[in-house]
Amino acid sequence: MASNSFRRCDGVTRRDFVRVGSLTAFGVGLAHCFTHSAQAAASVKAKRCILIWLDGGPSHLETFDLKPDAPQEVRGPLLPIATSVPGIQICESFPGLAKRIQHTAIVRSLTSPLGEHNLGTHYLLTGYPPTSALAYPAIGSVVAHLDPETRTLPKHVAVPDFGVGGQRISGNGYLPKAVRPFEVGGNPARADFRVQDLDFFPGLDSERIDRRRQYIEALDRLSRGVEVDGTRSVPTTKPLEQAYRLIASPEAKAAFDLSKESTETRAKYGPRTIGQSTLLARRLIEAGVPFVTVTYPGWDTHQNLYTQLKEGYTGAKVPVGLIPSLDLALSALIDDLVDRNLLDETLIVVMGEFGRTPKLNTQGGRDHWPRVFSVLLAGGGVPGGQVIGASDATGESPKDRPVTPADLAATIFTLLGIDPQQLLHTADGRPVHISRDGKVVKELLG
Amino acid sequence: MTNAAILLAVSLCSVDFDTDVLPVLTRAGCNAGACHGAAAGRGGFKLSLFGGDPAADYRAIVQDLEGRRVNLARPERSLLLLKPTWELDHEGGQRFETDSAQAALLLQWIQSGAPRTAGPASSGTQPRIAGPASSGTPRRLSGLSVEPAQIAVDALPATVSLAVTARFSDGSSRPVEDTAVFTPADSASTDVDSRGRVKVLRPGRHAIVVRYLTDVVAVQITAPHPNQPQDLSSQLRNNWIDDQINATLAALRLPPSPRAEDAALLRRATLDLTGRLPTSERIRTFLADRSAGKFPGEVDRLLASPEFAEYWTYKFARWLRIRTGPNDAAGTKVFHAWLRKQIETGRPIDQWIAELITAQGDSHEHGPANFHRSAGDARGEAEYVTESLLGIRLRCANCHNHPLDRWTQDDYHGLAAIFARLERGQVVSLKTSGDVIHPVSGEAAVPRIPGERFLPPADDNLAALAGWITSSQNRRFAKAQVNRLWHSLFGRGLIEPIDDLRDTNPASHPELLDRLADELVARQYDLRQILRLMADSAAYQRSSRPLPEAQSDDRFYSHALTRPLAPEVLLDAVCDALGVPAEFGEARQELPPGVRAIGLYSPHLATEALGPLTGCSNIKQCSATGDSSVSLDDLAVQLHWINGRLVNSRLGDSWHALAKLAYGHEPTGNLIEEYYLRTLSRLPTDQEQTFWRSQLGSESRAERCIDFAWSLLSCREFVTNH
Repeated sequence: MASNSFRRCDGVTRRDFVRVGSLTAFGVGLAHCFTHSAQAAASVKAKRCILIWLDGGPSHLETFDLKPDAPQEVRGPLLPIATSVPGIQICESFPGLAKRIQHTAIVRSLTSPLGEHNLGTHYLLTGYPPTSALAYPAIGSVVAHLDPETRTLPKHVAVPDFGVGGQRISGNGYLPKAVRPFEVGGNPARADFRVQDLDFFPGLDSERIDRRRQYIEALDRLSRGVEVDGTRSVPTTKPLEQAYRLIASPEAKAAFDLSKESTETRAKYGPRTIGQSTLLARRLIEAGVPFVTVTYPGWDTHQNLYTQLKEGYTGAKVPVGLIPSLDLALSALIDDLVDRNLLDETLIVVMGEFGRTPKLNTQGGRDHWPRVFSVLLAGGGVPGGQVIGASDATGESPKDRPVTPADLAATIFTLLGIDPQQLLHTADGRPVHISRDGKVVKELLG
Repeated sequence: MTNAAILLAVSLCSVDFDTDVLPVLTRAGCNAGACHGAAAGRGGFKLSLFGGDPAADYRAIVQDLEGRRVNLARPERSLLLLKPTWELDHEGGQRFETDSAQAALLLQWIQSGAPRTAGPASSGTQPRIAGPASSGTPRRLSGLSVEPAQIAVDALPATVSLAVTARFSDGSSRPVEDTAVFTPADSASTDVDSRGRVKVLRPGRHAIVVRYLTDVVAVQITAPHPNQPQDLSSQLRNNWIDDQINATLAALRLPPSPRAEDAALLRRATLDLTGRLPTSERIRTFLADRSAGKFPGEVDRLLASPEFAEYWTYKFARWLRIRTGPNDAAGTKVFHAWLRKQIETGRPIDQWIAELITAQGDSHEHGPANFHRSAGDARGEAEYVTESLLGIRLRCANCHNHPLDRWTQDDYHGLAAIFARLERGQVVSLKTSGDVIHPVSGEAAVPRIPGERFLPPADDNLAALAGWITSSQNRRFAKAQVNRLWHSLFGRGLIEPIDDLRDTNPASHPELLDRLADELVARQYDLRQILRLMADSAAYQRSSRPLPEAQSDDRFYSHALTRPLAPEVLLDAVCDALGVPAEFGEARQELPPGVRAIGLYSPHLATEALGPLTGCSNIKQCSATGDSSVSLDDLAVQLHWINGRLVNSRLGDSWHALAKLAYGHEPTGNLIEEYYLRTLSRLPTDQEQTFWRSQLGSESRAERCIDFAWSLLSCREFVTNH
C-alpha cells in the first residue's frame, strides 16, 4: 500500500478535515487534496518528539497488522476494525485511535535480525545493532546532545523511567552522561505523584543552596590536580548547574506538575500509568523539552495475550488491557496536540523492540519475532492516513518495502531536522555517524 | 575476484559439501540469522546458523524439494545457483555474480554429483545419485590458524594482510582467505576487506574476528599512539603483573603515571578491599609511617580484617545475584550468612562453589540450597549458572548453536537437563524424573557437560557438573574469577563486559589473564592471595592523573581509573564520614542494629535509603554483572543530593561527628583538617586551608561548616574511587 495523499483525503471526514486544517500554518482553504502535498513540500520539521516505547515487543498481529484471513493459530483472538481511512484496519481494541488514523502512518514492514530484548531494544532505540566496541546513544539522547538551546528543563526526559531492555541501555552511549534521559521516577497515575527532589529540603533556603553550590565548585576547583583525574572520566559540572537552574525555576518545575491539569483532561488520558505518563509527556514538550520517552512495559506476551493485551484481567467488562490503555492515551494526546496546533511540530513514535511469532504458542501467547513488525508514527510532518510496506499473508516476513531499524532511526532524525550522516565524536575523538547505514523512508517525510 | 577464481579452480580438483560448499554459503550470508539461518528458515528454505549442522544443511539443499535446489541433470538450472546470482527472483538479492568463483565452485560441486564428501574418484565418474559417498565420513575442519596471530604496527595508517589456513581431518590444509569471513570488532578502528587485508586506522588494541566454517579466531592488532617511544623495562615493576602491562604501554607508546601519593593509595586500597574509607587515625598513622614496606603491610592488614569479609561477601552476593522478595527472606538470610562464612574462613573459591552446585536440602536451614532457587526453571538455571560462575552467555544456544562461541543446542539443553530433576520448593531435592525437551529432536535432552560429554540420564549429575565447572582444567572458570577480581581492583575487566567470556571477545592483555588464571589455580583459589598480588603491582599503585600523552587511555592502565563508588558503598561512606549509623526506612525492623548497606542480605532492603541511587530494586532489575552504573552525573541523583534525604537528613542531625566540630570550639585549622580526613581521606593543601579559613571565619560559622561538610560529601573526589 503506497503512500498517497488522495487516500488520506478520501478517508477523512468533514469534521476531521477542519481539525487537520486548524493545526497547520496554512490551514485556510484546505478544501482539496493537493494543498496537503504542497504544504508538506515546504518541509515543516518536527521540533520535538514523544516516543512511546512498548517494552517487551508488541505483537504486530494484535495491533497494527492483523491477519483476519489467516488460519486461526496465526490470526489470533483479536479482530480488526475499520478506521477513519478506508482500507486501513487496526485492532478492535483501538477504537479511539481508529477514528484518528488519518493523523498516523503505520509501517508494517519493519525488519530486524535481533530477537532478544536487550539487543533488539538497542537496535530500535539507537539505530545501531549493539557491538562490544562502542555503546551507541539513544535517538533521544542524540537529539538532546544536538539541541543548541540552553534549557532549564532536561532535554531528554523518560516517563516514568528508562527501564528499557532490562536496564542494560544507558541512553547516552558514547555521548556525555549529561544527555542520559532524566527519569522522573514514581508512578504518574498515583494521586500523590510528584517528581522527587525539585523543592528545597526542609530547613534549607536559597541562600544556603547557593552557598553550597559555591563551595562544591570551589572544592572541585581546588582539588584539580590533587588526585582526581581532571579530564575524561570526570565530566563537567553540567548536571550540577542544570540541577541548580531547575531548582530555581518555578515555571520549569510546573511542567512536572500533573495536578495543574483538569480532572477532565486527566480522565481523558485514562487512569493508568501509561495515560498519566503520556499526559506528563505532553506537558513537558509544551514546556520545551525536545524529546520525551514514555516507557510502557509489559508487552512481552508469551502467555495469555488475549487477557494481557485486551481485557487486563480475566472477564473484565470494560477492557483495560495494554491496548485499550494505550488507545486512551494516544487518542487524548493526538487530540490535545491538534487543539494546540502542536501536532505538526511534534513527532509521535510508537514502537517496541520486535514483533511476535506468527503462530500462537501453546500458552495462548506469542514469542519473539523480529523479522517483521509494525511501528506507528504521527505528527511532526509525517503524512497521515497511510500504511507503508506490508508483511506477507501470515505476518512472517516483509512482503515489500522492508524497513530496518537503522532506516527508521535515520527517518526520525531527518524528520527532526537532523542530518543522519552528520558525525558525532566519542570522548576520545573518534568520529561516528549519527546513522551510518540508515536509508530515509521517503514516504514518511511527506 | 579473478584471482580468487583461479585459486579456487586450481586448489580444488574435487569439491565436498562440508568444507567447500558451506563456507561459500556462509561468506555470502545465506545461513546468517537474518536469512535462511533463522530458526524458522526463510522462504521455505532453512539452513543451520552459519553452517553449524552440515548434515541437516546437506539434506535441505540436496534432498529436499526433489532435486530443484540441486539439479543433477542440468546443474546450471539448480536453484542453489540461480537464486544467489539473481537469475531468479531472490528476496535476499544478488549474493554473487554468475561468473564468480563462488558460482563456479557451486557448479563444479553439482556437476560432480553434489556429494557430501569428495571421494578421490568423484571427479572422473560422476555418480547420478546424490548422497554421502561410500568412501567414509565427511571431511571436517580440524583447525584454523591466522598469520600473523598478533600484529603490531609502527605508524598509522597501516596495512597488513592476514593469511588464513584451514586444516582438515583428512590431514590436508589450504589457504581460505577467499572464503573466510572477516569482521572487525570496531569498524572505526580497523577496516578489513574480503581478502583479509586490514587497514589500521586508529591507535589502540583492536581485534579482527575471522570465521571459517564453525571455527572463529580473533587476531589482535596493536597500533601505537603518536608519542615518543620509551623504554619502560627498567622501572615501575613490582611483580610479573607489570611485565605485560608495561610491555603493552610501551607498544602503544602510552607513558605511565607516577606512583599515587600515600593518602590516595590508602584510600583506594581501603575502598577496594573493604568497601569503606580509611579512618582519620589510620590515615595519620599511615602518613607518619616512613618504612618502605608500609603499603604491602597495609594490604595484608586489610585482607585480614572482618571488614574485608563483609565487603567481599557483598561482592560475591551480587555476582551470584543473591536477592529476595519481601516474602522469602528466611532462605536469603541463611544463604548470605553461609557465604559470609566461606569468605571469612578463606575457603578456596572452587570448593565452596562446588558445594553450591551440589547443594540440596531445606533452603531455610541450609544456605547453599538457595543457589538452585535463584532461577525459576531448568533452562533459567542453565543460563544463570554459566553466566554467574563462568561468565558465559549461553542463552543464544537455546534456539541455535551459538554464532560467536562454541556452544551448541545440545550443550544448552543438555546442561538444562542436569537441573531438570531439581525440585525448587523450600526443600531443594533431586526428583527421580524430570527433563527438558530438546527443540530439534522433540525428545528429552540428554544431560551433558557443555562442550565435553553426555552423561547418563539416570545419575545425579550435579556432582559431575560441579567437578567440571571448578576443575583446574576449566580455564573459563579460573579466568572468569580472576577477571572479576581484576575488575574490582582496577575498575575495568581484562575482558569486558566481565560476563561475556568467549574466544571472539579477546582480553586486552591475554597473557596476563592466562597467567592470573594459572596463579589462581596454583594458589588453591585463594581470594586473598590473588588480590594481594594485584594490589602489589605498580600498575595498581599509579596515580589517577594521566600524563598528557595518555589522556585518552581508558584500558591499558597507564594511570588508575577513576570510578564511581557503588551506591551501597557511597551510602556507607556518607554515614561513616558523619559517624552516624545507616537507616533503612521500612526495612529496618528486620535488620540487626548498626548494619551497613553492604552488609544487607538482599539489595532490595536498601532501595528506600538509596532513593535514585539504587542500582536494583523490586522494580529495577540489577544488571547481570551486579555492578551499578548510577553516578552523580545523573540529574536525578544530583537533585537528590541537593534536595533529597540521603545526605540532608543525616547532615541535619546535630550530633554527628562533623556537627560536633562545627558547634564546638575546635580551632578552625584543625576542623578543616578533620573534615578533609573524614571525607576525602587526605590532608588539605595550604591553598585549601587558606580558602576554607576565609569562608569559615566569619558569622554563622556552624551553618557554614555544615555547608562545607555537604560540599565535601558531594564533590567528585568524594563520590569516586581514584
